[in-house]
Amino acid sequence: MARDRAAGWRTVSEHGDVFRAADGTWVLASSDAVHFAHRNPDVFSSALAFGATGVPLPLIPVAVDPPDHLKYRRVLDPMLAPRVVNSMEDDLRAQIRDLVTAFAGKGECDAVRDIARLYPTQVFLTVFGLPLEHRDQLIEWVETMNENSTTGTAAPTATVVEAAMAMLAFMQGYIDEKRSQPADDMLSRVLSLEGEDAWTNEEVLGLTFLITIAGLDTVTGAIGFAMLHLARNPDLRRRMVAEPALIGQVIEEVLRLETPAPTTPRVTTEDVEVCGVHIPAGSPVMLCLATANRGHTRYEHPDDIDLAQSDRGHVTFGGGIHRCLGSHLARREVRLVIEEFQRLIPDYEIKAGFEPEVVWPSATLHLAALPLVFPPVEGAT
Amino acid sequence: VKRIVIDRGRCTGNGRCYSLFPELFIDDDRGYGEVVGQGMLADQHLDDAQRAVIACPEDAIHVEEA
Repeated sequence: MARDRAAGWRTVSEHGDVFRAADGTWVLASSDAVHFAHRNPDVFSSALAFGATGVPLPLIPVAVDPPDHLKYRRVLDPMLAPRVVNSMEDDLRAQIRDLVTAFAGKGECDAVRDIARLYPTQVFLTVFGLPLEHRDQLIEWVETMNENSTTGTAAPTATVVEAAMAMLAFMQGYIDEKRSQPADDMLSRVLSLEGEDAWTNEEVLGLTFLITIAGLDTVTGAIGFAMLHLARNPDLRRRMVAEPALIGQVIEEVLRLETPAPTTPRVTTEDVEVCGVHIPAGSPVMLCLATANRGHTRYEHPDDIDLAQSDRGHVTFGGGIHRCLGSHLARREVRLVIEEFQRLIPDYEIKAGFEPEVVWPSATLHLAALPLVFPPVEGAT
Repeated sequence: VKRIVIDRGRCTGNGRCYSLFPELFIDDDRGYGEVVGQGMLADQHLDDAQRAVIACPEDAIHVEEA
């Protein structure tokens, strides 16, 4: 898996559309099975799966089932809709341009260390209206939590609790500040809801916590994977130069092949049959998005980038009512990185002898490092 | 004559329709898809409409007789 996801995910999908893993979890591996679960959120509860994370906060909105779920998404979806992202694009583009300019003159960079780790956290701070000076501290807390995360119902380690508490205290400070002095940002808009629509402090903290653990290292993964595939594929880069509109298709294919959050948990609320397999009520279930994205019946070239199949869709952002809230922002981040990197540095390749690997095993997938070399850009820094 | 429709109950705002086929779809305030106008399909858009049906991860898009 670390070096070859096609082979890695094949060892999962070869067990069948639906099967029971050694630890008792039911795995939904095929596209049909995953889609069925996405369409039946009452049977496949997200609340039961995310209810016991060890965090004394409601993870809004993923840990909420219908009908309450709709209340939150009606508020949150418009805040991260494409037209809202459009309004931030100039600022976000300037930020990635600065990051690329910083190393363009050196002729080398590590696309993970110098871009993918930094940019998603800058974007989060921008969207939430928080000062960028907190970037490195926030990255440290989030990485500490993700790198030491436990699975299932296992209690979090002291290290994780310490980082989580420090981050929540930091967020609480800004929640208090923005409650008294609202500004033009997402956090202020959530805090400005009044009357029956108003959120409790715990709900706001829970949303903030979820976005930091779900929306930062996943985009780090997506950016790193996009740069990996482009670095390995100069022909594709040349096609993109000739036809810039292809970038959307390239991003969708990279997202399909390299799923940063490859699985999502659910718990069944009743007996259910999926693809001919009976799953009892109360069972832990894992939706395997990564294998659903590589189905041989849905895609002609399931393990390769093929722009012709980019309109076949994928489930990297999940599906159904819990589909990723930040998908439009995530797509834009990846696009801005590619556009600004390749505008300044059109020709680049992976440093000779380096074999890129994802951090594995891990709940979310991202490259450990991606050293790139290129002709130094004169006068860039 | 055919037209394209979005099942609002199924749409979750993946955004594939309006990204891939902006002549047929636009995004609303929440990032959900909407058909342009009444969704009536000119002959030259029939292929794109069928591709949009396939592209939707939620099976929320259908082509029907107007």
